[in-house]
Amino acid sequence: MGFFVLVALLAVLLGIALRRGEDFGPVVKRFVEQFAMLVPRMLCALVAAGFIAQLLPKEAIARLLGDEAGLMAIPLAAAVGLLVPAGPVITFAIAAVFAKSGASTAALVTFVTSWSIFAAHRIIIYELPLLGPSFLRLRVVSAAMVPLLAGVMAFLVGLITAYGTATPM
Amino acid sequence: MRIGSQNFDYIYDPAWRAGLVQNAFGKSFWAFLAGAVILGLICWGVLGAETVLVALKEDIRLLIGLMPRVLVALSIAALIWVLLPRDRMAGLVGKDSGIRGLVIATLAGTVTPGGPSSAYSLLAVLAVSGADRGALIAYITAWATLGMQRILIWDVPFMGEEFAFLRFMVSLPLPVLAGLLARKLPLTLTVNDPDAKKRGEA
Repeated sequence: MGFFVLVALLAVLLGIALRRGEDFGPVVKRFVEQFAMLVPRMLCALVAAGFIAQLLPKEAIARLLGDEAGLMAIPLAAAVGLLVPAGPVITFAIAAVFAKSGASTAALVTFVTSWSIFAAHRIIIYELPLLGPSFLRLRVVSAAMVPLLAGVMAFLVGLITAYGTATPM
Repeated sequence: MRIGSQNFDYIYDPAWRAGLVQNAFGKSFWAFLAGAVILGLICWGVLGAETVLVALKEDIRLLIGLMPRVLVALSIAALIWVLLPRDRMAGLVGKDSGIRGLVIATLAGTVTPGGPSSAYSLLAVLAVSGADRGALIAYITAWATLGMQRILIWDVPFMGEEFAFLRFMVSLPLPVLAGLLARKLPLTLTVNDPDAKKRGEA
């Protein structure tokens, strides 16, 4: 179902580009560049994540981030998110493993959001060189509550409906 | 190579091709590969050969499900990259832009395609061309939490559409909130890197 939404979106964008008489050279270029950047590493990360999935103490994570942990899972998930100094390949593979091992939806939302805002490698590689420490300080203070709020809202949504439950691949 | 008005000349650019190979099979690829092999060996040692096979079979099943989604998502991201007027975004989020500026910054962050290199480059350009600090925070927070490209490429394939949509919806108001907070905070912001703009545009 979701896949067909993606295909429909692609068809719409393709239609717009064709109508505008867009040069498809840069489109193909961008596609090839991103494919090269993404897919080889993704394959390795997938295999690595498969092994991690076998090695991880799933019961412990399920207990700590699971539904029975309730709101307490949220600060913990935020802290775990800070500890992943890696790109999306590894992070989402880990998130999928957490989901399979019984982590609650609110904990998963918190984990992904916390990582996406504070990923350490991005701060070191891009933020400090391009914008400097005073920007980092402003951003950390301003956005510190964002993962927690996202988690709490997901928790509240979870009280009403099961919609949004992760279906990890 | 040109087909009508379509320009594919970059195919013959040796620098482009070398960059491609570098991106695909550079140092970090080998680090990833080494990580996978080491984890496989640990798995073998701790849990036995049979578990390694189970994991690999599961990987193949996963891959077959994942590849079509990745291809479609990458195509969408590439089209957005070309269709979006990136250069016109800088003028919209100045000092007196109010809540409207924060909303525009949030929207811009949401649709900015590309990884951290493009988002942080644009952020650096905005920072030295008079964008308000709240807008800067809203922009990069939105890019991190709401970025369509990340949601399409990562959330959707790995976690499912429902999770992706839920995460998007609960995060929707948060970049504006972070931007408002950034305006109120008594912290000094000095983006005084003289090369920031030059590097940002490179």
